[in-house]
Amino acid sequence: MSEYAFRKINIDALEEDVLLPSDLYDPDPRGPDGVLGDAQRKAGEVRNLVSRGDIPGALNAILSEPPYGDGVDEAKDLTTTSLLLILNSTRASEIPTILKSLGQEQQDHLMAYIYKGMAAIGQGSDVSGSVLLNWHAQLTEVAGVGCIVRVMTDRRTL
Amino acid sequence: MSNTLRPYLNAVRATLTAALTLENFSSQVVERHNKPEVEVATSPEVLLKPLIVSRNESERVLIEPSVNSIRLSISIKQADEIEKILCHKFTRFMMMRAEGFVILRRKPLPGYDISFLITNFHSESMLKHKLVDFIIQFMEDVDKEISEMKLSLNARARIVAESYLSTFA
Amino acid sequence: MSAPEIFQLSLGPLTGIAFSPDRSQVCVCPNSNEAQIYTRNGDSWDLTDTLAEHDKLITAIAWGPNTNRIVTCSQDRNAYVWTQTEQGWKPALVILKINRAATSVKWSPHENKFAVGSGSRIIAICHFDEENNWWTAKQIKKPLRSTVLSLDWHPNNYLLAAGTADGKTYVYSGYIKGLEAKPEATIWGDRLPTGQLLAEFRSPNGGWIHDVSFSPSGDALAFVAHDSSLSIIYASGPNEPPAAHIVVKLPALPFTNLTWTSESSIVAAGHDCQPILFTGSQSGWAISHSLDDPSSTSKPLTPSATGLRSGGGVGRLGNNEAFNMFKAADSKGQRGLAPSGATPSSAGLTPVGPDGLLLTVHQNTITHVEAYEWNQSGEVSKIFTAGRDGRLVLWPVTGGKGLAGRMAGLQV
Repeated sequence: MSEYAFRKINIDALEEDVLLPSDLYDPDPRGPDGVLGDAQRKAGEVRNLVSRGDIPGALNAILSEPPYGDGVDEAKDLTTTSLLLILNSTRASEIPTILKSLGQEQQDHLMAYIYKGMAAIGQGSDVSGSVLLNWHAQLTEVAGVGCIVRVMTDRRTL
Repeated sequence: MSNTLRPYLNAVRATLTAALTLENFSSQVVERHNKPEVEVATSPEVLLKPLIVSRNESERVLIEPSVNSIRLSISIKQADEIEKILCHKFTRFMMMRAEGFVILRRKPLPGYDISFLITNFHSESMLKHKLVDFIIQFMEDVDKEISEMKLSLNARARIVAESYLSTFA
Repeated sequence: MSAPEIFQLSLGPLTGIAFSPDRSQVCVCPNSNEAQIYTRNGDSWDLTDTLAEHDKLITAIAWGPNTNRIVTCSQDRNAYVWTQTEQGWKPALVILKINRAATSVKWSPHENKFAVGSGSRIIAICHFDEENNWWTAKQIKKPLRSTVLSLDWHPNNYLLAAGTADGKTYVYSGYIKGLEAKPEATIWGDRLPTGQLLAEFRSPNGGWIHDVSFSPSGDALAFVAHDSSLSIIYASGPNEPPAAHIVVKLPALPFTNLTWTSESSIVAAGHDCQPILFTGSQSGWAISHSLDDPSSTSKPLTPSATGLRSGGGVGRLGNNEAFNMFKAADSKGQRGLAPSGATPSSAGLTPVGPDGLLLTVHQNTITHVEAYEWNQSGEVSKIFTAGRDGRLVLWPVTGGKGLAGRMAGLQV
């Protein structure tokens, strides 16, 4: 059968000007190590802010320049965990005010993390669906469906 | 109905509305073909990030958008063996008649119970907000239908058992 | 100012549309392989001609306002130039040399050439070859790596902007040696051999570029992308970064088309089913108002119109359309998806009326927005939109600046 193996080669991928998923976004200028350092620093910062009850500050910090792309899984996990910690420790009545204080870029990032959180439910995540759904509803109310469209189109996976 | 059903369906509705922004897109890989890009998956730039909306471990919806089609897969709650069997029979019944339901996919995605495939041709010939309504209505009613079937199944089992055992009384 | 004029030209989508130079005729493609020419007859449009030569869906139509020639392009990889003769419209094949669908076509401002975008990662710039008596193409290939979805010519007849499915917007030189005089240096670039890449931009959050357009002066370039954004770029000079790169991100669904109505205003429309007027300058752009406001007051797009059901809509309403349908299909063998007598159970992005239809004029995605009429000062006073619902709508464009302009647009 070995003489037929060539039939399974994806020849389109060998073309010179083939478009790869990695060509669709610019890599993070900070590099993997810089990103990880930033993420660790921010995780500590967030823990401090949350313990002092400054949820808007914590959310703002974590949603600015989040890690994205390939090869930074550790930083991504760290950021996601700290973000879910913030979401869990926010009182439901405060959510709308907090969301309105965020910038558009941060709202887009928050939406991406909410979807990421929902995808992780049932795979050892400790956040409950109802919390995330509540955040999702409130955020859609504030930022509109355009925000969801941007989560779909953005190739910089958080 | 529990409290989280409404936010869950609202989240699905918002995500589906955002995903149903389709256009006619001719294949850039195969000459003179026009096929759902989400199914052929040959051009990475026209596939968008799949999103999952979930309510708990067992109930979730996967929405995979692309330039000219979206695939929506639903995982239905199955609390016990009976619900599992009923759900399987019920979805199988519909998927065997998929062409009658237009947007139903003949096979669910692995890990899900039922899948829909909506292409730009569907969103051109049908009102978009009605398509969204249809999916939401389906999700609302499928739980109810399965619980009802379970109740009637149990009731029937009880009657059968009673009439059988009454002969020994 | 009058209310918009609405014409239902087809029941399905209009995939291409172009008006004749004197606006008395319109050439549309009703989602098929034929283009139809309608002639205006008072308040209605009568079918007068059918252009049938393509064998797959026509994707774009352009009608030269000076030369009165129509060019159509299609997913069958061909384009035809149609000339009016006494025996009707006669097609001439264009040697495009592309092997995937043609997606968009635009006449250059002087109408001595036109550009065709295609799925084979090529832009073909076509001009008439006197010697052979046919239309022939020069191709731009680099660095295109995905389907070209939209094109626009710079008013100077040399520069060409293109938007692609991988989220890039390019500015090329579309100069053809031997056909026209050597171009002068422009604000976008000074060396202009054919196919020279002058500028490259990326959509802000990924997502394909639906439409690109040069401003009337040609110094600014606007594009709409699938990430619900409108980007406007002001060039500063050859080989220099742009003077301004403004991004407006919207709370609503993505736009599919845009057109400049003046140097400081843009109308864009798309999946939201309503044309929106933007105003701004190099220092910033913002939504002015929607031309089609369901409540007929000029309010900006509120993010609360998010597609959530208002009030207690989600619960069981006893209106189990889906199951009634499945049951009907099951027990009686009835088929079909359209549930009748539906209650207004939801709001899409745009509000839904009690009859289950959208409150906007267009009932489905708007796919074309173009200028229809200009006033004395050269600004667009009327635009037309066409959409997937088969409707052609003529809209008066109101100033947008100040209350007076808006009041003029109110429909009482």
